[in-house]
Amino acid sequence: MATFRFLLRKLAADRTAALGALIVVLLVAVAIAAPVLSTHPEDVTEFHPPERLLGPSGDHYFGTDRMGSDVYSRILFGARITISIAVIAIGVSVLIGVPVGLVAGYYRNWASDALMRVSDIFLAVPQIVLAIAIAQTLGPSIENVILALSATYWPFWARLVYAETRSALNETYVEASIALGASPWRVMLLHVLPNISSSLIVRTTIGMGGTILTAAVLGFLGLGPPAPSPEWGRTIAESREFLPEAWWYATAPGLAIFLVVMGFNLLGDGLRDILDPRTRRSTDG
Amino acid sequence: MDGLLAVTDLEVGFATESGLARVLDHVNFRIGRGEIVGLVGESGCGKTTLARAILGVLPANSARIGSGAIDFEGRNLLDEDTASLADDVRGRQITFVPQDPFSSFNPVFTIGAQIDELMKWKSPAAEHGGGMRRYPRARRRADRERVLELLRTVQLPDPEAILRKYPHEVSGGQRQRLMIALALLPEPKLIIADEPTTALDVTIQAQILKLLRRLATDRRVSVLFTTHDLGTAYEICDRITVMYAGQEVESAPSDEFFAAPRHVYTTRLLQSLPSREHGISGIPGQIPGLVEPPSGCRFHPRCDSASAICRAGRPGVTVVGPDHLVRCYHPVEGGAGEAAA
Amino acid sequence: MRALVLTVNRLAWFVPTLLGLLAITFTISHLIPADPIAFIAGDNATAEQIAALKAKFGVDKPIPVQLWNYVLGVAQGDFGVSLYTQRPIVDDLVGRLPATLELAFVSIVASAILGIPLGVLAAVRRNSWLDHALRVFTVSGLAIAAFWLAILFQLLFAMRLGWTPLQGRVDGWGPDVITGFFLIDSAVAGDWGVFRDVVAHMILPAVTLGFPAMATVMRFTRAGVLDAINSNYVDYQLAMGVPHRVVIWRYVLRNALIGTVTQLGLILGNLIANAVVVEAVFDWPGLGLYAVNSILQSDYNAIMGFTLVIGAVFIIANLLVDVTHGLIDPRESH
Repeated sequence: MATFRFLLRKLAADRTAALGALIVVLLVAVAIAAPVLSTHPEDVTEFHPPERLLGPSGDHYFGTDRMGSDVYSRILFGARITISIAVIAIGVSVLIGVPVGLVAGYYRNWASDALMRVSDIFLAVPQIVLAIAIAQTLGPSIENVILALSATYWPFWARLVYAETRSALNETYVEASIALGASPWRVMLLHVLPNISSSLIVRTTIGMGGTILTAAVLGFLGLGPPAPSPEWGRTIAESREFLPEAWWYATAPGLAIFLVVMGFNLLGDGLRDILDPRTRRSTDG
Repeated sequence: MDGLLAVTDLEVGFATESGLARVLDHVNFRIGRGEIVGLVGESGCGKTTLARAILGVLPANSARIGSGAIDFEGRNLLDEDTASLADDVRGRQITFVPQDPFSSFNPVFTIGAQIDELMKWKSPAAEHGGGMRRYPRARRRADRERVLELLRTVQLPDPEAILRKYPHEVSGGQRQRLMIALALLPEPKLIIADEPTTALDVTIQAQILKLLRRLATDRRVSVLFTTHDLGTAYEICDRITVMYAGQEVESAPSDEFFAAPRHVYTTRLLQSLPSREHGISGIPGQIPGLVEPPSGCRFHPRCDSASAICRAGRPGVTVVGPDHLVRCYHPVEGGAGEAAA
Repeated sequence: MRALVLTVNRLAWFVPTLLGLLAITFTISHLIPADPIAFIAGDNATAEQIAALKAKFGVDKPIPVQLWNYVLGVAQGDFGVSLYTQRPIVDDLVGRLPATLELAFVSIVASAILGIPLGVLAAVRRNSWLDHALRVFTVSGLAIAAFWLAILFQLLFAMRLGWTPLQGRVDGWGPDVITGFFLIDSAVAGDWGVFRDVVAHMILPAVTLGFPAMATVMRFTRAGVLDAINSNYVDYQLAMGVPHRVVIWRYVLRNALIGTVTQLGLILGNLIANAVVVEAVFDWPGLGLYAVNSILQSDYNAIMGFTLVIGAVFIIANLLVDVTHGLIDPRESH
């Protein structure tokens, strides 16, 4: 708990990181309170064709879309989709990748080599390319987006943890505890994992931003949750045929993506400065 | 010995989070032609800051120069414009041997390329001024000859091969020999060596020190040599100046310094000499903070002989012997340090 | 020498990695027994017609046999036939590769030309208003969705202001194809009207693609320069009176660029990912647009072909990055 408070204090001191943290907290709050904060919560599923493509006004902050639904309300509900996709996809890929990396890093045999080769193959193409292929095969839905993102993101964690495990095993105290007969699991969980936790926290935070962007691309390509889902990427794709007149329709969801991704990136950069001393520069000496 | 460099009344502060740290507090220091002077003190006493102030490379954003003068051959370096100093003094008349020979070479260029770059600007044959000018081929060839000759002088085996190597391909001792050669190449009047051997292991330290001493004496180059190690200073210095908490406290020719130290702090340093691998230890109390230093003599909180006058005002310089100066109201009687020497 | 060994070692993994990629994409595309044949044949097709189509596309055989046939085909440069264009996929891909390469090349070169000096400036004038402004710029570049930026650009510069064409690569037929790079082809033909038109079409997509790349270049150049400025070797150079300008632009920059070069793989990966959607928005007739169309048509063969080609390009590019890194950083080869 003391370390958590230390972290909070450090975050508060760094203005840009604090801004990032604020955006992330706001995003979560908005997602939870979407039914309360939205002006037309029913518009997630209901259409009002006579009111289609109205400009921003006191009643519709960000105007209405092609179905006459309130863009502002739909964006708030879209935050729920974005958060669930990013959190679950990162969670699953971490849950697969971290153990794979730990085990492969700890045991130096053909199996660990093979595991790393498999993850190298995944890493040989940009994540989005394989994610598109998977999402396309499985069909458009939230679950499939999550599946596509997790299936293509775990190798990243495996690689990261593998490298960190290998270097942790060279630390004297880890060597010592192995020499003293500590079991592999004990070494991995008590020595190696805590050693790499800072770097994991930093990477997951920055990874959230990247995953949200990738998920938005899938949505934009029509591979995300199907209509009438208020998913942000899909909303932008829908808006294209109503440009340039209905500029608000395209602008608002993109701005939402931008803000959220920036929030996670700023927070991640701030956490890196605080937690990862290797990237901290020594100015004295 | 006639003077080459005289620092008078120099005041340098550093802006820190807790206020202005007075790292150099009206410091006086001088060095004669061909003289090797050791600047000795614990880390944080200001010896590196003094060395950097003379070189004119204090960090611009945090260092504040208050008062004082750095007189080098009749010109006050603090009054002159930095560009002309960089061209005319720095790297020509005053050169530098860094503390860490490992990281002071750029890792991505060969040693030869780095020496070339330096010689392009700083060889004795190079003209002054000019922008990103060319390096005339004739001069380059002549400079190359001088470089090879000097590398042989600093006892580097196979100099041609070394010039083709990258810094990580040569040993630490060789790198420091290179640094000394680089410091000598512009034929300077003064070499500032900032703890040049701390990063090396003990056997190599001795070789490097002897080499530096011999070359400097042969060429009548003055050396300012900072160290926290009195033993090292004794091996090569003609004269030793001790600093404590941003002030110089005693200055004397080496023999007299070890035979008859007059400042209480100096005697303590000498008594702690046998345990030199632990640095300077065995002096009760702590080095004072420099943001709010003690009143009067900065050493008084740790001094047995301290009296009311020591708390009230800073002691002036007392001449206690030929070329022997001390800043103390109650100098130790001569001969107290004999046991240590 | 060791750099050479490493390169050979990496080259040796090229084929196995591609084979692995092939196996993965094949598995993905056959996970679900979706029936693209029925899609092509239409609702009124008879059982015989469907069987004939299946035989034509080779999907009537067991899956392992299909995989084997596919691997054999790829080894001979045959990626199968597109279900959508009905043409050999290799022809489709090769025909579209220059458009993508030209766009990617222009974006990367532009982002390096602008990003490196700006990164140095930001580092040298750390904490100045310029540094802060550039930081806002980099942070935005890495947070913005490329497809959205593309649409905003279209909205503003093409639709509202009318300064640039809305989409496409050229008006009309374009220059006679020599290299497939329209900038080069039109210049070679001396047809400056077409050249200007090609440039006009390229501005928006290139800026969209180049923005995040430039942000990354700037970010790493700045960090690298700062690291170098705080290093002992720069301190030494300055203490020896080497002019500040020379130290920064000759010494520091080279060291800083090593860090930026190692990030080229990342930059390229992002660029490829963004190219897919940016090409779709600008209707740019490259690989990305082809991939998007293939997705919309459930054209598995084409998607697999695209994935393999992108994988090969990406692996080769990373290999080149490693070799370059070894060349400019002598520590690498030891």
